[in-house]
Amino acid sequence: MSYPSIYPTGVTVYNPEKCWSGYTIFPARELGALLIDMNGAEVNLWKGLHGFPNKLLPGGYVLGHTGERSNAFGMQDQIDLVQVDWDGNVVWKFNQHEYIEDPGQEPQWMARQHHDYQRAGNPVGYYVPDMEPQVDKGNTLILCHRNVKNPKIADKVLLDDVIIEVTWNGEIVWEWNCNEHFDEYGFSEEAKNILFRDPNMRSAGGGMGDWMHINSMSVLGPNKWYDAGDERFHPDNIIWDARESNIIAIIEKKTGKIVWKVGPDYNASPELKKLGWIIGQHHAHMIPRGLPGEGNILVFDNGGWAGYGAPNPGSPTGAKNALRDYTRVLEFDPVTLEIVWQYTPIEAGFIMPVDASRFYSPFISAAQRLPNGNTLITEGSGGRLIEVTQEHELVWEYISPYWGEKMKLNMVYRAYRVPYEWAPQAERSQEVAIKPVDVTTFRMPGASNSRKKETVVDGVWPFQGDGALCVAADEELDK
Amino acid sequence: MSYVLFTATGCTRCKIVKAFMAKNGIAFEEKDMKAEGKDEFKKFYSANRCFITRGQDGVEFPVLTDGEEIRQGIGATIAYLSAGKKLDGFFCVGTLHKEWVDGIHPCSGNLEYAEEFLEVLRYLKGNAMKLQVETSGRNSHVLNQIFVEGLADRVIMNVVGPATIYSKIVGKPVDVSDIQKSIALVAQFPSYQYQTTVVPVIRQEGDMPEISYLTPGEIAETAKFIEEGTGSKKNPYLIRLFKPAESKDERLKSIEPLTSLFPYRTAARACQVLTELEKV
Repeated sequence: MSYPSIYPTGVTVYNPEKCWSGYTIFPARELGALLIDMNGAEVNLWKGLHGFPNKLLPGGYVLGHTGERSNAFGMQDQIDLVQVDWDGNVVWKFNQHEYIEDPGQEPQWMARQHHDYQRAGNPVGYYVPDMEPQVDKGNTLILCHRNVKNPKIADKVLLDDVIIEVTWNGEIVWEWNCNEHFDEYGFSEEAKNILFRDPNMRSAGGGMGDWMHINSMSVLGPNKWYDAGDERFHPDNIIWDARESNIIAIIEKKTGKIVWKVGPDYNASPELKKLGWIIGQHHAHMIPRGLPGEGNILVFDNGGWAGYGAPNPGSPTGAKNALRDYTRVLEFDPVTLEIVWQYTPIEAGFIMPVDASRFYSPFISAAQRLPNGNTLITEGSGGRLIEVTQEHELVWEYISPYWGEKMKLNMVYRAYRVPYEWAPQAERSQEVAIKPVDVTTFRMPGASNSRKKETVVDGVWPFQGDGALCVAADEELDK
Repeated sequence: MSYVLFTATGCTRCKIVKAFMAKNGIAFEEKDMKAEGKDEFKKFYSANRCFITRGQDGVEFPVLTDGEEIRQGIGATIAYLSAGKKLDGFFCVGTLHKEWVDGIHPCSGNLEYAEEFLEVLRYLKGNAMKLQVETSGRNSHVLNQIFVEGLADRVIMNVVGPATIYSKIVGKPVDVSDIQKSIALVAQFPSYQYQTTVVPVIRQEGDMPEISYLTPGEIAETAKFIEEGTGSKKNPYLIRLFKPAESKDERLKSIEPLTSLFPYRTAARACQVLTELEKV
């Protein structure tokens, strides 16, 4: 994949007529929580506020973290989860999950939060009609880390995922530990074998196995499946996905048991085969009631490298043995597993597979269903946020101009679109259309756009299409 | 008196007991339940089921009988062979495996025989066993002797509640200063843990006794009690769930079990930051 060294950042495409316009909140790399309007104007920057992710709440509140634990000892552990107001005052804080004494550091309580959290009132943390997250009360579900030993999984220290429910007063009232449900995940013997030997060891803290790496967690909320009597989809149940194992699962809130899942083996049934391998995925959630596609699962299927299983040429040990160099955003029916809507390199207009990696984020990323049926996609690794219609038309695009100094990426973990009304302190922005530039004629200042001579060569044949590339492409692939 | 010792092939503990009997000239008949003694043990077990504990991992061996008494496990067996019933209370059946021996309770035996009790521990340690001692805090001087001689590798102390209602929970008068001494001592062992079961407390005796569970506030006081005894907020501290069906007090068998211990952990962490909940 070739990227240009020079390209515009900020908003590059905006069609106000087709967009669900509002503000967009995202964690700008090594800068803070940034709220922008549809033209990319920066409405408010909560400077230095970490975001794993940042979420805006009604009233101009933003959720984030005041810091991250030293990478020498922790893997992505945020020290707390805080709610700050429009002016940056902390109005709510939770950190009393684990008391941490790292060498050379001040002992302190830490949340060890990572990847996700959900405030009561709203199941998914983004705008849903009549489901506003609470801002001055209510419990918060928080995805956290805890180091455990479980010889059934591996003989090494495991970085386990824990979901806790915390009251407004900071009391933990519910807890779910991922490792305690190992037998329910359906790992094959091959997968268990490599998982035992290499549970995705990371160097932090002298070595710990980030064996599942859950990166998304939300509540199902009211839905048609439960209304029709399917208890697996009880509104209180929680859906999560784990990038290292390629599993998307729903746990029953009451018992903690897995009641629905796809993965880790997508060859396990004809329906799963048709759905295709979901690899290293992020932000799997049920589209909440009140939004187009309600009840379906929306997921950013990154591709990349993930999973445990049989060794193959791309994975000599069986670790990260599922590979794909492009991304799919999938909306699928959780009962039939039929894909209802998707945005893949094909819908993005790229030739499959030779140009497929132009829609590709091998890590982080997200997808949000908007009230008009559009989807806001965070193609995170390249810091690209796009809004596409049901018909796959690109109607908004923003490239983050914020590259980190400590990590030279302009990555965006996850972005959310919120209605203007959720930030009443801000003056309502103007919406100015930005037409896509014709890149075939766009030149940098000083670069030529002229042709000095055109020569006719007699007897030349017309050019062919893509049917005889070095590799099979498009329709030829399906034959 | 003739002894029968039921053993299992390859059981190290059984070998240690046999060596003890041989050394002390105690005659016995061995029956290996995995070999020729299988049927006999089955028959014996069926007839004495109520005296033989069958845990999660099966029956712990050896099992000793003299025709009148039955003792199970290495500690209880050697104690009985050493001093008859005098050491009852100090030992019970354990749950640990391999080199680890548990079911040792310095707090609950007859203090007159403390020296005999210690002698059994010395023998076990002398045979390369690792000992886990469990105490509710009484008989701190015995625990101190265990510490001085290095007889325990791990100590678990059940701090039953805050000092103010310790006696009420135990159901008999308790010398709180004795408990305090044990709390301070426990933290000096190579490995240790404090724990509290959130039990129902009979607040008021009578025909209609007033019973209620320890409150999160009382657990916080218990954690404080440990902090004061050890001078540290960073002790391993486990909070356990009371199981009414397993209670020895009939009045508590019908009490509703608690649905959540989380408020207790939150309360305890103010004074013991490493507090965790027992997995059930």
